Amino acid sequence: MTEKPLKEVRKLPPCRAACPAHVNVQAYVALIQRGKFNEAVEVIRRDLPFPAICGRVCFSPCEDACARVNLDQAVAIRALKRLVADIEREQGRVVAQPVPKKYSEKVAIIGAGPAGLTAAYELAKLGYPVTVFERMAEPGGMMRYCIPDFRLEKFVVANEIAYIKDLGVEIKTGVEFGKDITIESLKKDGYKAIFIAIGTQTGMKLNVPGEDLEGVINAVDFLRAIALGKKITVGERVAVIGGGNTAIDAARTAKKLGAKEVMILYRRSREEMPALPHEVELAEKDGIKFYFLVAPKQIIGENGRVKAVECLRMRLGEPDESGRRRPIPIAFSEHQYEVDMVIPALGQVVEESVLPPELLSKDKRGPPLQVDPLTLETNIPGVFAGGDVATGPASIIEAVGAGKRAAISIHRYLRDEDLRKDRDEEKIEETTWVKDWRLLEKKERRYEPPIEKPHLSFEEAKAYLEKLKRQARFEAFRCLGCGPCAECLASMELCEGDKAVVDESKCVGCNVCAVICPVGAVKKNEKGVAQVNEELCKGCGLCAARCPERAISMQKLSNEQILTMILTALER
Amino acid sequence: MSQDSHPPRIVCFMCNWAFCEEEMRIPYNVDVIRVMCIGRMDPALVLETFIKGFEGVMLVGCKPPDCHFVDGNLHAERAVKMLKKLLALAGLEPERLKLLLVAPLEERAFSHYAKEFSEEIWRLGNSPLKKDEFIANLTAAKEAASAFRLRVLLGREEELTEFMNAYGEKIPEEEFDALLDDVVKAEYIRYKIHYLTRIKPRSVKELAQILGLKPSAVLRHITNMRRKGMIALDRVEGYTPLYKALEVR
Repeated sequence: MTEKPLKEVRKLPPCRAACPAHVNVQAYVALIQRGKFNEAVEVIRRDLPFPAICGRVCFSPCEDACARVNLDQAVAIRALKRLVADIEREQGRVVAQPVPKKYSEKVAIIGAGPAGLTAAYELAKLGYPVTVFERMAEPGGMMRYCIPDFRLEKFVVANEIAYIKDLGVEIKTGVEFGKDITIESLKKDGYKAIFIAIGTQTGMKLNVPGEDLEGVINAVDFLRAIALGKKITVGERVAVIGGGNTAIDAARTAKKLGAKEVMILYRRSREEMPALPHEVELAEKDGIKFYFLVAPKQIIGENGRVKAVECLRMRLGEPDESGRRRPIPIAFSEHQYEVDMVIPALGQVVEESVLPPELLSKDKRGPPLQVDPLTLETNIPGVFAGGDVATGPASIIEAVGAGKRAAISIHRYLRDEDLRKDRDEEKIEETTWVKDWRLLEKKERRYEPPIEKPHLSFEEAKAYLEKLKRQARFEAFRCLGCGPCAECLASMELCEGDKAVVDESKCVGCNVCAVICPVGAVKKNEKGVAQVNEELCKGCGLCAARCPERAISMQKLSNEQILTMILTALER
Repeated sequence: MSQDSHPPRIVCFMCNWAFCEEEMRIPYNVDVIRVMCIGRMDPALVLETFIKGFEGVMLVGCKPPDCHFVDGNLHAERAVKMLKKLLALAGLEPERLKLLLVAPLEERAFSHYAKEFSEEIWRLGNSPLKKDEFIANLTAAKEAASAFRLRVLLGREEELTEFMNAYGEKIPEEEFDALLDDVVKAEYIRYKIHYLTRIKPRSVKELAQILGLKPSAVLRHITNMRRKGMIALDRVEGYTPLYKALEVR
């Protein structure tokens, strides 16, 4: 199976175009259709080192972009990804072959989160010696320390990082940037390029009186302490402030740790919540209460401990620069919630103290670091920065996208190439062949991926897996295959990117091919003969099978080729 | 043709997307040839398969609405309808050709269907036709299926029956079926005449005898074929004109 480099492909299906890492969704969904589950994971790994992690917690921009929503619902892309990754892992860990070191320039990556690890993964694949420095005891960053176990199991993270290590990436843990290492010390040690991907580690402050009381703990610190195995006593009544995924995670964790009542206070309404809708639903199932349009004014204490939060009611005003409606406090609407624990989850900020001051941007309201958005260069040559540290808190898949971009930039920087020329990001164009949605049949999404694995005997487990696989194939068949032929690798061994060719001397311009073609790739041109648009042609051969004058033939799987196959079968 | 004691040789053209490899256990008398879509099977190729000596042909595709190429399976259905008509005209049991459309969540395995079909073919036994008759009839059918008239009709079926033609008319399905019957029959006879006169020049009377038709009907076909440049007068023996086939491109 070979794949065209992204640069050459101008038209991409909407799912792949929407994904920040440009994972070839269409190809792996097609491979699932064909029942090739392990090959599907291989395809995901070309662009994304974390198939199982993203299969669990990705916010799936691919599903939002899926063209199928025009018909019924998006294909369950994330669930399919999770299934193939899990099936692969349960067969035993896949050990990657180490990539031989083609280049001698050493690269240092600071921070073993999704951005740093992806950059390391991509650079190791190119053949660079890469070292990742991590402050915590285990690599994985927010994926390991801030996403609770019930959403993303630790062994899943460890498994995917082990694969990156297999490629020859060195990960040094317990090394703190700004203390144990600095940009100067790394350069002295012979590192030719540095990628800063330290993320945003400090939880934002509420900035209300009473924040220092006992019983107020920031969501990031709370989740990190739990991941580290520290004993935390949760209160009986817990208020989580904020509406993002971290808020939901913190609330659900508190509930699971034994809090009697957990409430989420959010200053906008449900529509504006940045958390994933299905996570919100799960939180509601867990019995977490939601209070919308309230913002804390102060935290009231008693003997140094939290006793209540005083809040103000809000109403929504005009949309602000983030596109969401700005909450405006309503005067004299103070009211109190009696709680004994407050978890602010308002987002995270960069630990500015560890960064060299020349990297920080002057404008305090914008992104914390001055970084070129396309090439990720900073104002120090040879130093790149990306991921949350450059954009502010975002998602895993966006960090992966940044890591990939950084890897390309670092490779070009070390090879003395133009960093800006022919970047993939600039050329992408969405495409779908469907012109008239009314002609397609609806097929509702029925795929409900299991969240927990049932306990089964060996025989039962086998049957259960078969059932899952068949359901996955069924779901994958809902994919419309929007992209052009080169996207789909599932039939590569059969058609090798087959295309129709027209013998113009034979064509009589009857237009049968144009009617037959399912993707509208064949059209009559101004000369009155059929013409194949190679970018759209998927190589199905329907036109070749129907052309009345047999003027259209396929390049690879032609009628003659099929005839040869028939004769070979006969001689068997 | 194989003996009755041997299982019949069967070829199965299968859509690339139907049945994944791990579900497949193939009986030893069956050969599977993967194609991109079952609608991709050229009707002429299916008939060619029979000529080469296979006793049964199975086409396996995806059940609607799961075709990877929107309606390739419906194109296959139309082609099979026409092919069955041609097979019946050629004197071969239409049951020797089968179209099977399966869903991705198909309960039964491929081997099940393959066994069922091969038992059916076994029951039919050898071809009812004698060897040279078989070759003549099926070659005529194959050539009819590769010629313009049938193919254009087949290619336009969807357009004519489901949408509208250039004059804003929509043809009812039964009417189209009757039209297809007529065209299949006429084309088959013409290519049979073409095949017979290719071997040696023949008279109308002789052709009528072989084809079991009235001489007037044969003459009408010959007139038509002469106009199309398929056949020409070779010589006149006594008072009887003999016709000879011309090369068709």
